[in-house]
Amino acid sequence: MYDRIFAGALLLLSGLIVWTAVGFDVPFQYEPLGPKAFPILLSVLLALAALWLIIRPSENDWLPDRKILVKLLSGLVVMGAYAALFETAGFIPATFLAGTAFSYFFGEKPLRAAAYALVLSVSSYFLLKDVLQLNVPVGALLGG
Amino acid sequence: METLNFLATGFSVALAPMNLLLVLVGCFLGTLIGSLPGIGPINGVAILLPLAYAMGFPPESALILLAGVYYGAEYGGRISSILLNVPGDAGAIMTTLDGYPMSKRGEGGRALALSAVSSFAGSMGALLLMVMSAPLLSQLAIRFGPSEYVWLMIFAFTCLATMVGSRPVKTMVGVLIGLLLATVGVDSGTGVLRFTLGIPNFFDGVDFLVVVIGLFAISEVLALLEQWARNDLVITPVGKSFVSFADLVAVRWVVLRSTVIGFLIGVLPGTGASIASAVAYGSEKRMAEGDNDQFGKGDIRGLAAPEAANNASAAGSMVPMLTLGIPGSGTTAILLGALMMFNITPGPLLFEQNPEIAWGLIASMFIGNIVLLFMNLPLINFFVRLLSIRQAYLVPVIVMLTFVGIYSIHGDSFDLFFMVVLGIFGFLLRKMHFSLAPVILGLVLGEVLEENLRRALSISGGDWAILLNGPMTYVLAAATLTALLAPSLWRFWKQGRRAMPLEAE
Repeated sequence: MYDRIFAGALLLLSGLIVWTAVGFDVPFQYEPLGPKAFPILLSVLLALAALWLIIRPSENDWLPDRKILVKLLSGLVVMGAYAALFETAGFIPATFLAGTAFSYFFGEKPLRAAAYALVLSVSSYFLLKDVLQLNVPVGALLGG
Repeated sequence: METLNFLATGFSVALAPMNLLLVLVGCFLGTLIGSLPGIGPINGVAILLPLAYAMGFPPESALILLAGVYYGAEYGGRISSILLNVPGDAGAIMTTLDGYPMSKRGEGGRALALSAVSSFAGSMGALLLMVMSAPLLSQLAIRFGPSEYVWLMIFAFTCLATMVGSRPVKTMVGVLIGLLLATVGVDSGTGVLRFTLGIPNFFDGVDFLVVVIGLFAISEVLALLEQWARNDLVITPVGKSFVSFADLVAVRWVVLRSTVIGFLIGVLPGTGASIASAVAYGSEKRMAEGDNDQFGKGDIRGLAAPEAANNASAAGSMVPMLTLGIPGSGTTAILLGALMMFNITPGPLLFEQNPEIAWGLIASMFIGNIVLLFMNLPLINFFVRLLSIRQAYLVPVIVMLTFVGIYSIHGDSFDLFFMVVLGIFGFLLRKMHFSLAPVILGLVLGEVLEENLRRALSISGGDWAILLNGPMTYVLAAATLTALLAPSLWRFWKQGRRAMPLEAE
């Protein structure tokens, strides 16, 4: 079933790609193939493969229960929040929050998770910024 | 003779203090990453690549570090296979079969030491084969025109489709998704913008690192999250036993044969350590017919074979990457992408134009394997202790490093969101049994494939017959056909035997 849904989406996608590629406005071109042919060729192959998957899908053995879906979704929410806060709030607060959450998800008690994340975020900040000289955002909270 | 001169150049690069330090760091991290169940070499290299890039290493140093992680992980994978019965990475699956029973009966130390020596012998043997074959292959490849390159890539994808993953059609879909992702951005031939959805971040293409980290590392975190249950993995004690000289003598031919098998499978595009170790194990078991009832119960031959083979394949898969620009495995696809980020095009000219990279890497692998032997014999207890790091402490570090790495490339939060979206996509692909390595291979090779196809057709003025023109194209076309048909013929031949599904590492 998942295979069929996914293959259907791929079929749609390959149609969209052909549609878009045909519509490319190519003002000049020195070689016979141009920018259109390769993507069109690929989407035709993709469409054929997708059709094959629709005709003969594999059985799906992934049947997540509520608990797992909640776990996955909360992981995604934390990652989304981490992405959103990373630059605006800065590395240390964002990593503290995401670190606490993930440490908790993997079985640590809330307080100890927070303590670990605090040590991790502060020590990594100086390690990454000063020793490895990476571009680590300070963030608005700490006056960056 | 010339080879020795080049090798000397290589050692002068690899022995520079900075590079020597990076070999040590790479091998250490590799052993660690390999031994921890959950993060394999592909994730380790993917997470470290943006960091190495952002820290501004010269290309040869970055490659030395990342390659160290790759072959170091092939050593590390065996530790958790033997002591936990959980393979640390895909290449170490076969090691659990005989390694774990050995440690169960109190011979953990013997199993670890024997597999370390087998790994070392496999790596060193494969390196010698690499030194001999790489210059030859690059001399052959130097005469390749665009048509030959098109065939080489089709051959690579065919090998991948028929040998890796649950179903060929799914591997093909993965490759096509990767190839299509590679077309996003401004077209180098005409300046036309393709499939950018009007998003400026996509104008110069989809960033390779974001795709790799999203597909592998982020989806891995999601998979860990799904699997996680309060785990009470029991580490079998290492014990005092150690490998004896008689053990080594007993497995010498096993190791030699497995090294050659591993190297050859490594060289084949797309097939890496997991397949190499499975084939080596299977063929040793068959060769020992009549005397193989101990296989699976702790036979030292069954332990030595996959370990020699998976290390040999790691070296083998570097050969096509360096000489042809076509990666031999998923992890080397990332190494290839790394080189491209440094504006270095791997291929036959690499050995002439950038000998410091090609030979520096090879020399560093000699040094690295000696380092690894040392880390894995006298210092093994240190890594065993690290096995008990809890995921509650490990996962936050992985998540943090992926975000820091991706952010440090462009300093743009857009990449972080895109990475998470790709992570969801990668996770769903995994759940539907699509391997992810083909996507990366497609992405890395997409631009080169299109460029060569267009070049070939502009030489011929649009006539597709140019693709079958000259002896080399016939050979490559025949090889592709063989790769396409051989597995089904083989299955027909061996009907009744259940084919084992293999995952790309």
